[in-house]
Amino acid sequence: MLSIREAGVTEILEATMSELLQVRNLEMSYYTNGGRVRAVDDVSFDVKPGEVVGIVGESGCGKTAVSLSILRLLPSPPAKIEGGEILFEGQDLVRLSGERLRRIRGDDIAMIFQEPMTSLNPVYTIGNQLIEAIRLHQQLEGKAVRNRAIEMLKLVGIPRADEVIDEYPHRFSGGMRQRAMIAMALSCDPKLLIADEPTTALDVTIQAQILELMRDLKERLHTAIIFITHDLSVIAEMADRVLVMYAGKIVEQGSVVDLFHDPQHPYTQGLIGSRPSMDVERKRLEFIPGSVPNPLHMPGGCPFHPRCPHAMQICRREMPGETQGENEHGVRCWLHLDKSDDQARPLRAAVGAAEE
Amino acid sequence: METNEIPGTGAQSHGYEEAEIPAVDLEDEEVSTGTVAAGRRRGVSEWHQVGKHLLRNRGAVIGLIIIGIFVIGAVFAPLLATHNPIQNNLTMRLQGPSSTHWLGTDALGRDLFSRMLYGSRISLNIGLISVAIGVAVGVPIGAISGFYGGKLDIFTQRIIDIMIAFPGILLAIIVVTVLGVGVQNVMIATGIASVPIYARLVRGSVLAAKEQSYVEAARAAGLGDASIVFRHILPNCLAPIIVQSTFQIATSILWAAGLGFLGLGAQAPMPEWGAILSDGRAYIRTAHHLTTYPGLAILFMVLGFNLLGDGLRDALDPRSRGN
Amino acid sequence: MYQYIARRLLLTIPVIFGVAILVFSIIRLIPGDPARAIAGVQASPEFIEQVRARYRLDEPLPVQFGIFLGDLARGELGRSTFSRRPVATEIGERFPRTFLLATTALVIATIVGVSAGIVSATRRNSMFDNVSMLFALVGVAAPVFWMALMLQLLFAVNLRMLPATGIGTWRHLVLPSITLGMASAGLMARITRSSMLEVLRQDFITTARAKGLNERFVIYKHALKNALIPVVTVMGLQFGILLGGAVLTETVFAWPGIGRLLVDSILRRDYPVVQGTVMLMAFLFVIINLVVDITYAFLDPRIHYQGEAGE
Repeated sequence: MLSIREAGVTEILEATMSELLQVRNLEMSYYTNGGRVRAVDDVSFDVKPGEVVGIVGESGCGKTAVSLSILRLLPSPPAKIEGGEILFEGQDLVRLSGERLRRIRGDDIAMIFQEPMTSLNPVYTIGNQLIEAIRLHQQLEGKAVRNRAIEMLKLVGIPRADEVIDEYPHRFSGGMRQRAMIAMALSCDPKLLIADEPTTALDVTIQAQILELMRDLKERLHTAIIFITHDLSVIAEMADRVLVMYAGKIVEQGSVVDLFHDPQHPYTQGLIGSRPSMDVERKRLEFIPGSVPNPLHMPGGCPFHPRCPHAMQICRREMPGETQGENEHGVRCWLHLDKSDDQARPLRAAVGAAEE
Repeated sequence: METNEIPGTGAQSHGYEEAEIPAVDLEDEEVSTGTVAAGRRRGVSEWHQVGKHLLRNRGAVIGLIIIGIFVIGAVFAPLLATHNPIQNNLTMRLQGPSSTHWLGTDALGRDLFSRMLYGSRISLNIGLISVAIGVAVGVPIGAISGFYGGKLDIFTQRIIDIMIAFPGILLAIIVVTVLGVGVQNVMIATGIASVPIYARLVRGSVLAAKEQSYVEAARAAGLGDASIVFRHILPNCLAPIIVQSTFQIATSILWAAGLGFLGLGAQAPMPEWGAILSDGRAYIRTAHHLTTYPGLAILFMVLGFNLLGDGLRDALDPRSRGN
Repeated sequence: MYQYIARRLLLTIPVIFGVAILVFSIIRLIPGDPARAIAGVQASPEFIEQVRARYRLDEPLPVQFGIFLGDLARGELGRSTFSRRPVATEIGERFPRTFLLATTALVIATIVGVSAGIVSATRRNSMFDNVSMLFALVGVAAPVFWMALMLQLLFAVNLRMLPATGIGTWRHLVLPSITLGMASAGLMARITRSSMLEVLRQDFITTARAKGLNERFVIYKHALKNALIPVVTVMGLQFGILLGGAVLTETVFAWPGIGRLLVDSILRRDYPVVQGTVMLMAFLFVIINLVVDITYAFLDPRIHYQGEAGE
């Protein structure tokens, strides 16, 4: 597989290049009428230049919250970043002034979103919205801006770009809109692209095309990408490294090869085990027993313990720290830590009991 | 019809709301279907939810309290009134508020407080009856027109277009012109003026409900048109009708007061608020209580229904309840 | 686009026709002899007969309606039974005053309402938001004639800052237009606010922010144009409602426009004038709705394409 070969390349690059983005102990909560929801809980990870980092997890696990936190795009209230730092080329985005943050948004870090149907402003033409982004961050004038916009549309494979540029978004199909979004995001040569479920809302065939496009652009432009999805097959195709999130926490992270061949966390094992290989329609990860916990009533200890087939006494009381394996393969699970016999007593009599 | 679409209202919510905070008290399905869920049949527990949500809304509670006060005043007017509302007392003309005449007296020496108590009866009656007329006429028109569609629908739509071509109060004025002045005719006039609003509203809801699978199911089960409309479609249009009616009561009260003020509504000696205000106008320099208090009464009653309407609209919308 | 406008224009024809039928029926529906209604209460029997012949009131309704439409097309609206002057002259004299009043009121309402709504939405739950929404609620609920009297009492009688009634200078226009615009301002503030809040929740706003646009640009370029679409509809409707409200405002401020003319004519049973005024108001309302729909299409590019595709 292509991605496996690339993982090797990245390892070589790793030694020579410093980190592009370092997220350290990020904490983010929503304050709702029902109470505080810890959407992002002690999340740390790095992104190297040109690297593709996948974040995977069920909906509600906090992956979108992480991505929106990076550019501080979460509406406050109800959202509040309560701790940690997000270092982009050494600057802490959490503490950056609004003005300086805006200079980074769309220029150094760009984003594309899940819903191409609603992510473009319906009352302005594609060109208007694209030109606006270019003009904001690049020293281009007059005709050059428009030419750059057309060039970008061609780059993402939109036919008749010089005509289509003056169309309104509703004339575009979902796939075309997502291409336009990608064009907009890449128009200022960002160092980091955050793609939040960019293919989820699209038809399967269109999905494949968009993924193909993103892979191609990654090769050509060497943009680092944070790729957020609930779809493991997409991760396998796109990512160099993978973060697995559950209930606001990263439970496992490692290279795509390590993670798929040797998953350490029971949740990751469940995800990979439940990954449908043939039936593309059923992408949802429905095969782990139980469901995502209610964020307002998070279970104590490891949040996965109510669904975990290996749950032990200690899992109910305490969230384990991270154990590092080879190749920066980290996991947060008591199975990989020392504990007393008493703590290791199984929570449920039989493994099968959790299937209820 | 396309002009009535507002961008975003049909769109699914997404973005930062995206499942990060799953609505705790609703099924997943309901959250994602948004407006469709609004059209689903409500069970007892759902009405309970609506009630709970309504009572948590400060505005709605204030509205309910205001309406409650007026309703008590209207119902117990004979007990609460300190004087006979239509008995003249020429020795006590244009008195300011005092301990015997709490809100003062008018040009004929009648007690303003007592007149206003009875006036709240008239205003509430006008509001309720005109809305009843509007619902009774408008809802069936809208339902039939939406359900059967075709030529009938086109025809009724053009009639509604024509009625909507008149600003509400103007339509009411025309009806009063034809029927003659008086409280009853005002009720009919304001009722007729609200017919197009209900017809439009219900037609839209019926068109949306018709596409739903439970209607298909009812049809497949062999139910007749009438029972499909009355038992399966109309109950689902109930929420918008209730909300609209609450606002419409307020509007009718305002229109009726306006007609009363113009001399086209209630006639002397009836203590209708608009008419009291109109009579008091001549004495605005010397006895402004005759205009101030009835105006405030109209304002508060209308405000009460508007606040309640706002609260009901939020409470009956599953999307806003999810947050 | 032109197709859409043409389609929309065609749709107004049956409406105006229907309005004409309705206005035509007023005189036929009131109890009593239509000839007497047209001629006036104190008219001589000869004159009544003359009127009957002129409008062919003995012939079937369709014939009468034909005469009515013909007259209407020529601007021939009959004579006032009160002043004996042609209805068209009466209306022509007064209409510009009502138009001035309603337009001023609409401008005030739009400026005040839309800006209050935008600020309220962007500073949700702030002091400004709460106070302006309270004002909006009161503005919508207060009876316009009462507001008129209260403002008159305060600014004309007590403070003597502005004239209480009449026309002539811009100072005469201040109180009536503020009174008339108040309810509309409240409504527009509420609608702008909720529409703005709805739009600010949309994904494309996040997209705009992610591009690095500053907040002012996000609000005034990306959000406002979308948020104004429902506001424009309301604005149009408001203009009609203002024309209706002018009936009350003009009465209080002794503003000699068509609103007051209508009320006076109803009370005097001057039916030819009632007919003419109602026809004009409804006609205006239809035209305004047409303009609103067309503006709407300019604001929202999705509309006219849908129109092309047909329903």
